[in-house]
Amino acid sequence: MQIASKELSAVEMVKTALEKAKAAQEKYSVFISLNKEAALKRAAEIDGKIKNGENPGRLAGVPYALKDNFLSKDGNTTAASKILEPMKSPITATSVKKLEDEGAIMIGRTNLDAFAHGSSTENSYFGPTKNSKDAARVAGGSSGGSAVAVALDIVQFATGTDTGGSIRQPASFNGVYGFKPTYGTISRYGVVAMASSTDCVGFFANSAEDIDLLMSITAGQDPYDMTTLPDYYGADFTRGDALRGPAGPEPQASGSDGRYNATAPWDAEGRRPTGPRKIGVIKDFDIKGDIKDALDKKIKDLKSKGYEIVELEMPTLKYALAVYYIVVPAEISSNLSRYDGIRYAYRNSSAKSLDEVYGKSRSDGFMPENKRRIMIGNFVLSSGFYDAYYLKAQKARTLIIKEYEEAFKKCDFILSPVTPNPAFKLGEKTDDPVSMYLEDVMSVPINLAGLPSLAFPVGETKDGLSLGLQLIGPRRSDKALLDFAGKELK
Amino acid sequence: MEITREEIDHLAQLSNFSLEDAEANALGKDLNQIISYISQLDELDTEGVEPTYQVFEMENVWRDDEIKTQEADREALLALAPEQQEHQIKVPKVL
Amino acid sequence: MKDYEITIGIECHVQLATRTKLFSEVDNDAREKEPNSCVSPVDYALPGMLPRLNKEAVKMAVIAGHALNSEINLISRFDRKHYYYPDLPKGYQISQLYQPIIGAGYVKLPDGTKVRIEHAHMEEDAGKLSHFAGYSLVDLNRAGTPLIEIVSMPDIHSAAHARDYCKELWRIMTYAGVCFGDLYNGNMRFDVNISLAKPGEPLGTRAEIKNLNSFRSVERAVEYEYKRQSKLLDKDEKVVQETRGWSDDTGETTSQRSKEEAQDYRYMPEPDIPPIHLTKEFVEEQKAKMPKLPEDYREQFKGQIADDTLEILLDYQPLMGKLDELARGDALRGPAGPEPQASGSDGRDSAAGPRASIVKRVANWFASVLLAEEKSAEYLNDLPSAKQLDDLAEMTEKSELSSTGAKEVFLKFFDPQMRNRDAREIAKELNVLQENDAGALEKIVDEVLSDPACAKAVEDYKAGSEKVLGFLVGQVMKASKGKANPAAVQPILKKKLSK
Repeated sequence: MQIASKELSAVEMVKTALEKAKAAQEKYSVFISLNKEAALKRAAEIDGKIKNGENPGRLAGVPYALKDNFLSKDGNTTAASKILEPMKSPITATSVKKLEDEGAIMIGRTNLDAFAHGSSTENSYFGPTKNSKDAARVAGGSSGGSAVAVALDIVQFATGTDTGGSIRQPASFNGVYGFKPTYGTISRYGVVAMASSTDCVGFFANSAEDIDLLMSITAGQDPYDMTTLPDYYGADFTRGDALRGPAGPEPQASGSDGRYNATAPWDAEGRRPTGPRKIGVIKDFDIKGDIKDALDKKIKDLKSKGYEIVELEMPTLKYALAVYYIVVPAEISSNLSRYDGIRYAYRNSSAKSLDEVYGKSRSDGFMPENKRRIMIGNFVLSSGFYDAYYLKAQKARTLIIKEYEEAFKKCDFILSPVTPNPAFKLGEKTDDPVSMYLEDVMSVPINLAGLPSLAFPVGETKDGLSLGLQLIGPRRSDKALLDFAGKELK
Repeated sequence: MEITREEIDHLAQLSNFSLEDAEANALGKDLNQIISYISQLDELDTEGVEPTYQVFEMENVWRDDEIKTQEADREALLALAPEQQEHQIKVPKVL
Repeated sequence: MKDYEITIGIECHVQLATRTKLFSEVDNDAREKEPNSCVSPVDYALPGMLPRLNKEAVKMAVIAGHALNSEINLISRFDRKHYYYPDLPKGYQISQLYQPIIGAGYVKLPDGTKVRIEHAHMEEDAGKLSHFAGYSLVDLNRAGTPLIEIVSMPDIHSAAHARDYCKELWRIMTYAGVCFGDLYNGNMRFDVNISLAKPGEPLGTRAEIKNLNSFRSVERAVEYEYKRQSKLLDKDEKVVQETRGWSDDTGETTSQRSKEEAQDYRYMPEPDIPPIHLTKEFVEEQKAKMPKLPEDYREQFKGQIADDTLEILLDYQPLMGKLDELARGDALRGPAGPEPQASGSDGRDSAAGPRASIVKRVANWFASVLLAEEKSAEYLNDLPSAKQLDDLAEMTEKSELSSTGAKEVFLKFFDPQMRNRDAREIAKELNVLQENDAGALEKIVDEVLSDPACAKAVEDYKAGSEKVLGFLVGQVMKASKGKANPAAVQPILKKKLSK
């Protein structure tokens, strides 16, 4: 990460980023709003600190882009929707505060599918963001704007949220790194909720090392979010629970602080080492074309580095998408009930009765995909359907989690595609919601199980489209996974 | 299963949407496709399986009973309301 | 009108007396506060806000569960209940449907009837709406106040029992210290389900009367519903399953919403709150904090205080606490005093214990003197010490005071000027100490008998007219300026007159 210094001022860095952002806007529609004045003011403050020899923070003067579903006192938080367009938040999200406490400077708010519902950023009230490699194609989504902001080198990093692939898919569509941590690693406080049991805050950046730095800054228990984990280093993982092989004894933590050490050598007696040795590959996905070639190439590469490739049978994963499109809409229908035109943001001005305030504000304020998901959610929760859909799906979720647990007894990490195909054309799937959902088939199971996963770039198609893969770890293996990726996946 | 227009209207009502006919019909078509897709779960045997509602293993996360100053006070919150009067949120008459 | 059997089940909402709300750290006591001044961004349901569970509310729920003789469920969870209303900011209420914290229990009514508790669960309260011409205003001060909802079994079969049950719940919750019990401010609210059936026949359709906030209105609403439903049944008409509202002014219930158009609440497990998993130790720790409950006092004072007096006093926990202190008697006599004897085998004072007459006397002062005072509510906040009361009762017992004198002294305990003084000091100041000394009294009696004005009376008495004795006692009292103890005067008079 390039931080500000006496040689390169924060103001210069911010100005450059703002200029790039402006220049890219017409072609790519990356941002919903820019944060020019506040960003320059912050930059000047950082430069003052540097000049005075004060600690300007680990992200001093680093311009970054904020997905527009994070609350911040700077600018409006629209969630790319009409209903929240006027929302000027009096609150700043915990994760944003932590970044800014380390000197990072938000230069703009990026585009997304409204309320993060989508896989292409086409469901934005402000129009779609275009792919950084081919502007006729989708950026991916829902965090499309953030992925493109990093891919176009406007900023060094951007925030995202990943409920079913919303970081990893656009990252792989644009050739950047995108990380979805273990559920609960970063506070969700101040992030517009989509599905509470799978929502994760994460990042886009240019390397696993940069993401590691961002994680070490933003992770940790937050009194404002009851579902946050104590730290990012994964106490359970370092104890070896997650890495215990089928036959091996307790692995040893070789770091002096007892933390997992990804670079630890093999044990001379052939006992299980503390570093990862086995990489799992799922047999059950039907993978073709460029994506298959990229996967095979990466497998070969890892083998040549001495890693063992383990084939995994995971027959329940094919139901994960159906489970996801039951559980997540149920939580969406609940979480989006609060947008009712009563207490804040948009209220339809022609509404005369209370029913009209509700009905018109909501019908008007949500995008069609928001409405589909809210209605599906209400369907699966409504009396008569709860057991057959919602409860059944939560049971299936248990089976999916168990399948991962079994898999991680056989391997340390799982290597998988993020999507079946590279970026598709704008408009190609907008009329067919199910075909759009099918894009998520390899990303959603990870969210249902709350696992960490890093999407990383693996080159391009012959047409110049980005290709990406993801590395999935056991719960709370985030640090080990990023360390491994930093060393072995470049 | 196929859901009827009547059921679409019921779901719209649960969702608090007032939909024009054309939109209701279009949504109905999409919903039927989606429901048909998610119904494939029928074939998975979940007999005797406990549901998972949260992938977070901590329990008893709670706080002390102490009053704290909030990041946004009454004025900051009410300033967001589309209409307010006498420090209250104003809405059309609730019948 | 035919005879019908009435069956009643009651759901009671109890606001917990925590300092802060169930899921946010703002003041939970919004009485006398400006609208929306006790509202956090969580209560306002801004985007991205998450609940933060108040541990004290969980503790209070456990205590309430004990007070209801209920099992505490070691594992409990929260669920979301969805409906739209301007006073419900999130569009759902966080409640407990599937795994509530309090399991089955019972409440014993004063007459010994048991009403079973189905379960009780924690949930958050909604805000308040006020209605004006053409618009309504929303105040969210109450939104997020912790509640427990206590759901009874349909074990109640009369309006009087319905009232007794609600009142007993009110006593139990305030004694247990989990609720302020201010009914006027909605600290407890009752939803009453009522159905009628011919004797021996299955239950009829029920109507639910929502949001009753006094024991009297519970009783009246049940009486009204009995009449309304029996009239319908007499005519072979159907009772509609519906929610009805009660008006204290008209004394009638009116239809609000029929259950056919009942809302579909789409309950869903709350994903933002991890489960509560209590240890047995935690539960026992809360149990140990439980103060004495009305039923404990009934057992303790049975036969010692008249039942009807006791039931009156049971409405006032501070008075029961004071009586308990007096009954225990410890620390009242100072270091030199004898140990009070615990005569029950369980260490409790028996009804016939040595302190029984003291307790009875003070109980009667509480019931007939203190509670008759206009300012009694105020007085309850600052009761005299057990020592003051004990001394006064003791002096009265020993006839050092007349009962009128004792009442006078008792009332001075509430006089700010005399608040902290000894009973004896006050009695002296009021000049109400009685003369019991036989020598002194004989002297006065002699004076009276030798008074020529009494000669006629003395003559009459000697001629057999007993009733003039009263007159003579009165004369002695007069001569003593009211300080003679009439009970002591009488035998002296008799003795002198019979000579």
